[in-house]
Amino acid sequence: MIPLNLLVIPLSLMIAFMLIMLPLPEWAQVYRPDWVALILIYWSMALPKRVGLWVAFITGLFLDITQATLLGQHSLALIIITYINLNFYQRIRVMSLSYQALYVMVLLMINQLIVLWVEGILERDPPFMAFVGPPLTGMMIWPWVFIVLRDIRRKANLR
Amino acid sequence: MKNIFQPARGTLFPALFFALLSMSIMFIDHRSQLEGVRSSLSVVISPLRYLVSIPSLTGSWVSEWFTLHDRLVNDNRALKHKQKLQNTRLQKMGVLLAENARLRNLLGSSRKVSDVVVVAELLSVDQNPYRQLIEINKGTMDGFVDGQAVIDDDGVMGQIIHTTYNSSTVMLISDPEHAIPVQFIRSGLRSVAFGNGSNDALELRFLPATADIKVGDELVTSGLGGRFPADYPVATIDIITHDKTHGFQTATARPKASLDSSREVLVIKTRDESQVIQ
Repeated sequence: MIPLNLLVIPLSLMIAFMLIMLPLPEWAQVYRPDWVALILIYWSMALPKRVGLWVAFITGLFLDITQATLLGQHSLALIIITYINLNFYQRIRVMSLSYQALYVMVLLMINQLIVLWVEGILERDPPFMAFVGPPLTGMMIWPWVFIVLRDIRRKANLR
Repeated sequence: MKNIFQPARGTLFPALFFALLSMSIMFIDHRSQLEGVRSSLSVVISPLRYLVSIPSLTGSWVSEWFTLHDRLVNDNRALKHKQKLQNTRLQKMGVLLAENARLRNLLGSSRKVSDVVVVAELLSVDQNPYRQLIEINKGTMDGFVDGQAVIDDDGVMGQIIHTTYNSSTVMLISDPEHAIPVQFIRSGLRSVAFGNGSNDALELRFLPATADIKVGDELVTSGLGGRFPADYPVATIDIITHDKTHGFQTATARPKASLDSSREVLVIKTRDESQVIQ
Protein backbone atom coordinates (compact mmCIF):
# COMPACT_ATOMS: atom_id res chain seq x y z
CA MET A 1 0.00 0.00 0.00
CA ILE A 2 1.46 3.32 -1.05
CA PRO A 3 1.05 6.02 1.60
CA LEU A 4 -1.26 8.78 0.41
CA ASN A 5 1.18 11.60 0.96
CA LEU A 6 3.55 10.06 -1.59
CA LEU A 7 0.97 10.94 -4.25
CA VAL A 8 2.23 14.52 -4.28
CA ILE A 9 5.25 13.33 -6.26
CA PRO A 10 3.34 11.97 -9.28
CA LEU A 11 0.90 14.86 -8.94
CA SER A 12 3.66 17.46 -9.16
CA LEU A 13 5.14 15.61 -12.15
CA MET A 14 1.73 15.64 -13.84
CA ILE A 15 1.51 19.40 -13.39
CA ALA A 16 5.01 19.65 -14.87
CA PHE A 17 3.83 17.66 -17.91
CA MET A 18 0.89 20.00 -18.36
CA LEU A 19 3.19 23.03 -18.18
CA ILE A 20 5.35 21.41 -20.87
CA MET A 21 2.37 20.80 -23.15
CA LEU A 22 0.86 24.26 -22.70
CA PRO A 23 0.94 26.06 -26.04
CA LEU A 24 3.32 29.02 -26.24
CA PRO A 25 4.05 31.41 -29.12
CA GLU A 26 6.82 30.13 -31.35
CA TRP A 27 9.51 32.60 -30.23
CA ALA A 28 8.94 31.69 -26.58
CA GLN A 29 9.22 27.95 -27.04
CA VAL A 30 13.00 27.77 -26.74
CA TYR A 31 12.83 29.63 -23.43
CA ARG A 32 10.32 27.22 -21.89
CA PRO A 33 11.96 25.84 -18.75
CA ASP A 34 12.25 22.08 -18.60
CA TRP A 35 9.64 21.72 -15.84
CA VAL A 36 9.76 17.94 -15.66
CA ALA A 37 13.54 17.86 -15.23
CA LEU A 38 13.39 20.64 -12.62
CA ILE A 39 10.81 18.86 -10.51
CA LEU A 40 12.57 15.53 -10.88
CA ILE A 41 15.83 17.15 -9.73
CA TYR A 42 14.06 18.52 -6.67
CA TRP A 43 12.52 15.21 -5.64
CA SER A 44 15.64 13.17 -6.21
CA MET A 45 17.54 15.72 -4.13
CA ALA A 46 14.99 15.80 -1.32
CA LEU A 47 13.97 12.15 -1.25
CA PRO A 48 16.81 10.20 -2.90
CA LYS A 49 15.58 6.98 -1.33
CA ARG A 50 12.19 7.19 -2.99
CA VAL A 51 12.78 9.08 -6.23
CA GLY A 52 15.67 7.50 -8.05
CA LEU A 53 16.58 6.00 -11.37
CA TRP A 54 13.31 4.10 -11.81
CA VAL A 55 11.25 7.25 -11.61
CA ALA A 56 13.67 9.04 -13.93
CA PHE A 57 13.39 6.25 -16.49
CA ILE A 58 9.58 6.12 -16.51
CA THR A 59 9.23 9.92 -16.50
CA GLY A 60 11.64 10.11 -19.41
CA LEU A 61 9.55 7.66 -21.43
CA PHE A 62 6.44 9.78 -20.90
CA LEU A 63 8.41 12.89 -21.80
CA ASP A 64 9.43 11.19 -25.05
CA ILE A 65 5.78 10.56 -25.84
CA THR A 66 4.72 14.15 -25.26
CA GLN A 67 7.69 15.61 -27.11
CA ALA A 68 7.49 13.11 -29.99
CA THR A 69 11.16 12.25 -29.64
CA LEU A 70 12.66 8.76 -29.80
CA LEU A 71 11.56 6.55 -26.91
CA GLY A 72 14.46 6.54 -24.48
CA GLN A 73 15.95 9.86 -25.53
CA HIS A 74 14.73 11.89 -22.56
CA SER A 75 15.00 8.91 -20.21
CA LEU A 76 18.71 8.60 -20.98
CA ALA A 77 19.21 12.29 -20.21
CA LEU A 78 17.11 12.18 -17.04
CA ILE A 79 18.86 9.03 -15.80
CA ILE A 80 22.26 10.65 -16.20
CA ILE A 81 21.30 13.86 -14.36
CA THR A 82 19.52 11.87 -11.65
CA TYR A 83 22.63 9.74 -11.24
CA ILE A 84 24.76 12.86 -10.82
CA ASN A 85 22.21 14.27 -8.42
CA LEU A 86 22.08 11.10 -6.32
CA ASN A 87 25.81 11.33 -5.82
CA PHE A 88 25.91 15.01 -4.92
CA TYR A 89 22.64 15.69 -3.09
CA GLN A 90 24.17 15.95 0.36
CA ARG A 91 26.55 18.68 -0.73
CA ILE A 92 23.94 20.55 -2.75
CA ARG A 93 21.26 20.57 -0.04
CA VAL A 94 23.36 22.72 2.25
CA MET A 95 24.24 25.28 -0.42
CA SER A 96 22.49 28.62 -0.71
CA LEU A 97 19.69 28.89 -3.24
CA SER A 98 21.76 30.86 -5.74
CA TYR A 99 24.55 28.25 -5.78
CA GLN A 100 21.94 25.54 -6.09
CA ALA A 101 20.51 27.36 -9.08
CA LEU A 102 23.91 27.33 -10.77
CA TYR A 103 24.24 23.60 -10.13
CA VAL A 104 20.74 23.03 -11.51
CA MET A 105 21.69 24.97 -14.64
CA VAL A 106 24.65 22.66 -15.19
CA LEU A 107 22.40 19.62 -14.76
CA LEU A 108 19.83 21.04 -17.18
CA MET A 109 22.60 21.75 -19.69
CA ILE A 110 23.80 18.15 -19.49
CA ASN A 111 20.20 17.06 -19.97
CA GLN A 112 19.79 19.31 -23.00
CA LEU A 113 23.15 18.26 -24.41
CA ILE A 114 22.20 14.58 -24.39
CA VAL A 115 18.76 15.18 -25.91
CA LEU A 116 20.23 17.38 -28.63
CA TRP A 117 23.08 14.93 -29.32
CA VAL A 118 20.51 12.33 -30.21
CA GLU A 119 18.73 14.87 -32.41
CA GLY A 120 22.09 15.55 -34.05
CA ILE A 121 22.68 11.86 -34.69
CA LEU A 122 19.27 11.79 -36.39
CA GLU A 123 20.52 14.67 -38.57
CA ARG A 124 18.06 17.21 -37.25
CA ASP A 125 19.51 20.62 -36.78
CA PRO A 126 18.41 22.11 -33.45
CA PRO A 127 18.64 25.90 -33.08
CA PHE A 128 21.36 27.17 -30.75
CA MET A 129 18.86 28.67 -28.32
CA ALA A 130 17.33 25.22 -27.81
CA PHE A 131 20.54 24.36 -25.96
CA VAL A 132 20.95 27.55 -23.94
CA GLY A 133 17.35 28.68 -23.41
CA PRO A 134 15.80 26.02 -21.14
CA PRO A 135 18.80 25.78 -18.75
CA LEU A 136 18.88 29.57 -18.33
CA THR A 137 15.17 29.93 -17.60
CA GLY A 138 15.36 26.80 -15.45
CA MET A 139 18.13 28.38 -13.39
CA MET A 140 16.12 31.56 -12.88
CA ILE A 141 13.03 29.64 -11.82
CA TRP A 142 14.81 27.14 -9.54
CA PRO A 143 14.56 29.11 -6.25
CA TRP A 144 10.77 29.33 -6.62
CA VAL A 145 10.44 25.68 -7.61
CA PHE A 146 12.57 24.76 -4.62
CA ILE A 147 10.63 26.85 -2.09
CA VAL A 148 7.20 25.77 -3.36
CA LEU A 149 8.08 22.09 -3.47
CA ARG A 150 9.80 22.25 -0.07
CA ASP A 151 6.66 23.68 1.50
CA ILE A 152 4.56 21.02 -0.20
CA ARG A 153 6.93 18.33 1.01
CA ARG A 154 6.75 19.61 4.59
CA LYS A 155 2.95 19.83 4.47
CA ALA A 156 2.77 16.27 3.15
CA ASN A 157 5.19 15.22 5.87
CA LEU A 158 7.53 13.46 3.46
CA ARG A 159 11.10 12.79 4.44
CA MET B 1 19.17 6.84 15.49
CA LYS B 2 18.63 7.58 11.86
CA ASN B 3 21.76 8.14 9.85
CA ILE B 4 21.35 11.42 7.98
CA PHE B 5 24.45 11.03 5.86
CA GLN B 6 23.82 7.94 3.85
CA PRO B 7 26.02 7.98 0.78
CA ALA B 8 24.24 6.96 -2.40
CA ARG B 9 26.49 3.99 -3.04
CA GLY B 10 25.51 1.35 -5.49
CA THR B 11 23.79 3.69 -7.91
CA LEU B 12 26.43 3.26 -10.61
CA PHE B 13 25.38 -0.16 -11.87
CA PRO B 14 21.64 0.55 -11.86
CA ALA B 15 22.39 3.82 -13.65
CA LEU B 16 24.47 2.04 -16.28
CA PHE B 17 21.74 -0.57 -16.65
CA PHE B 18 19.03 2.04 -17.20
CA ALA B 19 21.23 4.06 -19.54
CA LEU B 20 21.91 0.99 -21.68
CA LEU B 21 18.21 0.09 -21.56
CA SER B 22 17.13 3.49 -22.80
CA MET B 23 19.78 3.47 -25.51
CA SER B 24 18.60 0.11 -26.79
CA ILE B 25 14.99 1.33 -26.69
CA MET B 26 16.10 4.26 -28.81
CA PHE B 27 17.69 1.95 -31.37
CA ILE B 28 14.58 -0.20 -31.59
CA ASP B 29 12.29 2.82 -31.74
CA HIS B 30 14.39 4.33 -34.51
CA ARG B 31 13.50 1.29 -36.58
CA SER B 32 9.92 2.12 -35.55
CA GLN B 33 9.08 -1.22 -34.02
CA LEU B 34 7.63 0.16 -30.81
CA GLU B 35 4.33 1.56 -32.10
CA GLY B 36 2.36 -0.49 -29.55
CA VAL B 37 4.32 0.81 -26.57
CA ARG B 38 4.09 4.35 -27.89
CA SER B 39 0.34 4.31 -28.36
CA SER B 40 -0.36 2.61 -25.01
CA LEU B 41 1.79 5.20 -23.22
CA SER B 42 0.03 8.02 -25.06
CA VAL B 43 -3.31 6.77 -23.78
CA VAL B 44 -2.03 7.57 -20.28
CA ILE B 45 -0.97 11.04 -21.41
CA SER B 46 -4.11 11.91 -23.39
CA PRO B 47 -6.26 13.01 -20.40
CA LEU B 48 -3.54 15.55 -19.64
CA ARG B 49 -3.70 16.77 -23.23
CA TYR B 50 -7.45 17.29 -22.88
CA LEU B 51 -6.90 19.12 -19.60
CA VAL B 52 -4.33 21.41 -21.20
CA SER B 53 -6.65 22.28 -24.08
CA ILE B 54 -9.48 23.31 -21.71
CA PRO B 55 -8.35 26.94 -21.14
CA SER B 56 -8.17 27.77 -24.84
CA LEU B 57 -11.48 25.98 -25.49
CA THR B 58 -13.24 27.87 -22.69
CA GLY B 59 -11.62 31.07 -23.97
CA SER B 60 -13.16 30.67 -27.39
CA TRP B 61 -16.46 29.57 -25.85
CA VAL B 62 -16.61 32.66 -23.63
CA SER B 63 -15.77 35.00 -26.50
CA GLU B 64 -18.49 33.35 -28.59
CA TRP B 65 -20.98 33.78 -25.76
CA PHE B 66 -20.28 37.48 -25.32
CA THR B 67 -20.19 38.50 -28.97
CA LEU B 68 -22.27 41.56 -29.78
CA HIS B 69 -25.65 40.97 -31.29
CA ASP B 70 -25.22 43.14 -34.36
CA ARG B 71 -21.86 41.59 -35.10
CA LEU B 72 -23.54 38.19 -35.10
CA VAL B 73 -26.24 39.49 -37.40
CA ASN B 74 -23.61 40.92 -39.73
CA ASP B 75 -21.66 37.67 -39.71
CA ASN B 76 -24.82 35.75 -40.40
CA ARG B 77 -25.71 37.98 -43.35
CA ALA B 78 -22.21 37.68 -44.82
CA LEU B 79 -22.26 33.91 -44.40
CA LYS B 80 -25.66 33.61 -46.06
CA HIS B 81 -24.42 35.67 -48.98
CA LYS B 82 -21.33 33.47 -49.27
CA GLN B 83 -23.47 30.35 -49.05
CA LYS B 84 -25.60 31.56 -51.97
CA LEU B 85 -22.56 32.28 -54.11
CA GLN B 86 -21.04 28.90 -53.33
CA ASN B 87 -24.31 27.12 -53.99
CA THR B 88 -24.51 28.58 -57.48
CA ARG B 89 -20.93 27.50 -58.07
CA LEU B 90 -21.73 24.02 -56.78
CA GLN B 91 -24.63 23.69 -59.23
CA LYS B 92 -22.21 24.12 -62.08
CA MET B 93 -19.77 21.82 -60.32
CA GLY B 94 -22.35 19.00 -60.23
CA VAL B 95 -22.84 19.19 -63.96
CA LEU B 96 -19.11 19.29 -64.53
CA LEU B 97 -18.52 16.29 -62.27
CA ALA B 98 -21.12 14.26 -64.15
CA GLU B 99 -19.59 15.28 -67.45
CA ASN B 100 -16.11 14.43 -66.22
CA ALA B 101 -17.25 11.00 -65.07
CA ARG B 102 -18.92 10.37 -68.46
CA LEU B 103 -15.82 11.42 -70.37
CA ARG B 104 -13.61 9.27 -68.18
CA ASN B 105 -15.91 6.35 -68.82
CA LEU B 106 -15.64 6.99 -72.54
CA LEU B 107 -11.86 7.03 -72.28
CA GLY B 108 -11.96 3.84 -70.25
CA SER B 109 -9.89 5.26 -67.43
CA SER B 110 -10.72 4.77 -63.79
CA ARG B 111 -13.23 7.06 -62.15
CA LYS B 112 -12.27 9.65 -59.58
CA VAL B 113 -13.74 8.83 -56.22
CA SER B 114 -14.92 11.70 -54.10
CA ASP B 115 -13.14 11.71 -50.76
CA VAL B 116 -14.78 11.09 -47.42
CA VAL B 117 -13.55 13.64 -44.89
CA VAL B 118 -13.92 13.70 -41.12
CA VAL B 119 -13.61 16.86 -39.03
CA ALA B 120 -11.24 16.70 -36.08
CA GLU B 121 -10.16 19.34 -33.62
CA LEU B 122 -6.69 20.43 -32.62
CA LEU B 123 -5.73 19.22 -29.15
CA SER B 124 -2.21 20.51 -28.73
CA VAL B 125 0.90 21.50 -30.60
CA ASP B 126 3.93 19.36 -29.81
CA GLN B 127 6.51 21.49 -28.07
CA ASN B 128 9.56 20.06 -29.77
CA PRO B 129 11.25 23.11 -31.32
CA TYR B 130 12.72 21.21 -34.27
CA ARG B 131 9.63 19.27 -35.28
CA GLN B 132 6.28 20.44 -36.60
CA LEU B 133 3.72 18.11 -35.11
CA ILE B 134 0.19 18.61 -33.82
CA GLU B 135 -2.24 16.40 -31.91
CA ILE B 136 -5.86 16.05 -32.96
CA ASN B 137 -8.77 14.70 -30.92
CA LYS B 138 -9.80 11.65 -32.94
CA GLY B 139 -8.04 8.35 -33.48
CA THR B 140 -8.56 4.72 -34.39
CA MET B 141 -12.06 4.93 -32.86
CA ASP B 142 -13.05 7.09 -35.85
CA GLY B 143 -11.21 4.92 -38.33
CA PHE B 144 -8.03 6.94 -38.60
CA VAL B 145 -4.89 5.07 -39.66
CA ASP B 146 -1.30 6.14 -40.21
CA GLY B 147 -0.68 7.90 -43.49
CA GLN B 148 -4.04 9.57 -43.96
CA ALA B 149 -3.87 13.10 -45.34
CA VAL B 150 -4.95 16.04 -43.18
CA ILE B 151 -6.21 19.29 -44.74
CA ASP B 152 -7.85 22.48 -43.59
CA ASP B 153 -10.21 24.64 -45.59
CA ASP B 154 -7.35 26.27 -47.52
CA GLY B 155 -5.01 23.42 -48.34
CA VAL B 156 -3.01 20.39 -47.29
CA MET B 157 -1.72 20.44 -43.69
CA GLY B 158 0.08 17.12 -43.30
CA GLN B 159 -0.40 13.45 -42.60
CA ILE B 160 -1.15 11.23 -39.61
CA ILE B 161 1.91 9.47 -38.20
CA HIS B 162 0.69 7.92 -34.92
CA THR B 163 -2.79 6.98 -33.81
CA THR B 164 -4.21 6.04 -30.44
CA TYR B 165 -7.83 5.21 -29.87
CA ASN B 166 -8.88 8.80 -29.22
CA SER B 167 -6.11 11.00 -30.57
CA SER B 168 -3.63 11.12 -33.43
CA THR B 169 -0.36 12.85 -34.17
CA VAL B 170 -0.13 14.79 -37.41
CA MET B 171 3.18 15.62 -39.08
CA LEU B 172 2.76 18.97 -40.80
CA ILE B 173 4.10 19.53 -44.31
CA SER B 174 6.55 22.02 -42.79
CA ASP B 175 8.25 19.35 -40.64
CA PRO B 176 11.92 18.96 -41.61
CA GLU B 177 11.33 15.24 -42.20
CA HIS B 178 8.33 15.74 -44.43
CA ALA B 179 8.22 15.79 -48.21
CA ILE B 180 5.12 16.09 -50.35
CA PRO B 181 4.88 15.34 -54.08
CA VAL B 182 3.49 18.42 -55.83
CA GLN B 183 2.62 19.63 -59.30
CA PHE B 184 2.57 23.17 -60.71
CA ILE B 185 -0.93 24.00 -61.93
CA ARG B 186 0.28 26.36 -64.67
CA SER B 187 3.10 24.34 -66.23
CA GLY B 188 2.28 20.82 -65.07
CA LEU B 189 5.84 20.41 -63.78
CA ARG B 190 6.16 17.84 -61.00
CA SER B 191 8.41 18.24 -58.00
CA VAL B 192 8.70 17.49 -54.31
CA ALA B 193 8.24 20.12 -51.59
CA PHE B 194 10.29 19.64 -48.42
CA GLY B 195 9.48 21.13 -45.06
CA ASN B 196 12.24 23.08 -43.33
CA GLY B 197 10.91 23.57 -39.83
CA SER B 198 9.40 27.02 -40.22
CA ASN B 199 5.68 27.05 -40.80
CA ASP B 200 5.61 29.62 -43.59
CA ALA B 201 8.02 28.07 -46.09
CA LEU B 202 8.40 24.85 -48.07
CA GLU B 203 11.49 24.19 -50.17
CA LEU B 204 11.59 22.89 -53.73
CA ARG B 205 15.18 21.84 -54.26
CA PHE B 206 17.06 21.03 -57.46
CA LEU B 207 14.59 22.23 -60.02
CA PRO B 208 16.17 22.24 -63.51
CA ALA B 209 17.51 25.68 -64.47
CA THR B 210 15.20 25.72 -67.46
CA ALA B 211 12.08 24.79 -65.48
CA ASP B 212 9.12 27.00 -66.22
CA ILE B 213 8.31 28.51 -62.83
CA LYS B 214 7.30 31.99 -61.73
CA VAL B 215 6.66 33.69 -58.42
CA GLY B 216 2.98 33.22 -57.63
CA ASP B 217 2.63 29.78 -59.22
CA GLU B 218 0.18 27.52 -57.44
CA LEU B 219 1.20 24.06 -56.30
CA VAL B 220 -1.24 21.17 -55.87
CA THR B 221 -0.67 17.60 -54.71
CA SER B 222 0.30 15.42 -57.64
CA GLY B 223 -1.02 12.19 -56.13
CA LEU B 224 2.25 10.41 -56.91
CA GLY B 225 3.55 8.26 -54.11
CA GLY B 226 0.04 7.32 -53.08
CA ARG B 227 0.00 9.16 -49.74
CA PHE B 228 -1.86 12.32 -50.66
CA PRO B 229 -4.87 12.31 -52.97
CA ALA B 230 -4.30 14.39 -56.11
CA ASP B 231 -5.29 17.99 -56.78
CA TYR B 232 -5.44 19.49 -53.31
CA PRO B 233 -3.86 22.96 -53.05
CA VAL B 234 -0.54 22.96 -51.20
CA ALA B 235 1.39 26.20 -51.56
CA THR B 236 2.21 29.30 -53.62
CA ILE B 237 5.70 30.00 -54.94
CA ASP B 238 7.29 32.85 -53.00
CA ILE B 239 10.96 33.17 -53.84
CA ILE B 240 13.03 31.67 -56.67
CA THR B 241 16.82 31.49 -56.38
CA HIS B 242 19.10 30.57 -59.26
CA ASP B 243 22.17 28.60 -58.32
CA LYS B 244 24.58 29.60 -61.07
CA THR B 245 27.33 27.21 -60.03
CA HIS B 246 25.21 24.07 -60.13
CA GLY B 247 22.73 24.88 -62.84
CA PHE B 248 19.74 24.34 -60.61
CA GLN B 249 17.14 26.64 -59.25
CA THR B 250 15.58 26.44 -55.82
CA ALA B 251 12.18 27.78 -54.92
CA THR B 252 10.49 28.59 -51.64
CA ALA B 253 6.75 28.24 -51.39
CA ARG B 254 4.28 29.51 -48.80
CA PRO B 255 1.82 26.86 -47.59
CA LYS B 256 -1.83 27.65 -48.28
CA ALA B 257 -3.14 25.98 -45.15
CA SER B 258 -2.83 28.04 -41.98
CA LEU B 259 -0.48 25.58 -40.30
CA ASP B 260 -0.16 27.50 -37.05
CA SER B 261 -3.70 28.72 -36.54
CA SER B 262 -6.24 26.15 -37.74
CA ARG B 263 -8.33 24.78 -34.89
CA GLU B 264 -10.43 22.46 -37.03
CA VAL B 265 -8.83 20.11 -39.50
CA LEU B 266 -10.24 17.63 -42.00
CA VAL B 267 -8.89 14.12 -42.30
CA ILE B 268 -9.35 12.43 -45.69
CA LYS B 269 -10.41 8.87 -45.09
CA THR B 270 -10.94 7.35 -48.52
CA ARG B 271 -7.71 6.38 -50.14
CA ASP B 272 -8.99 4.39 -53.07
CA GLU B 273 -6.24 2.82 -55.16
CA SER B 274 -8.05 3.67 -58.40
CA GLN B 275 -7.79 7.29 -57.45
CA VAL B 276 -4.06 7.21 -56.88
CA ILE B 277 -3.08 5.44 -60.06
CA GLN B 278 -4.68 7.33 -62.87
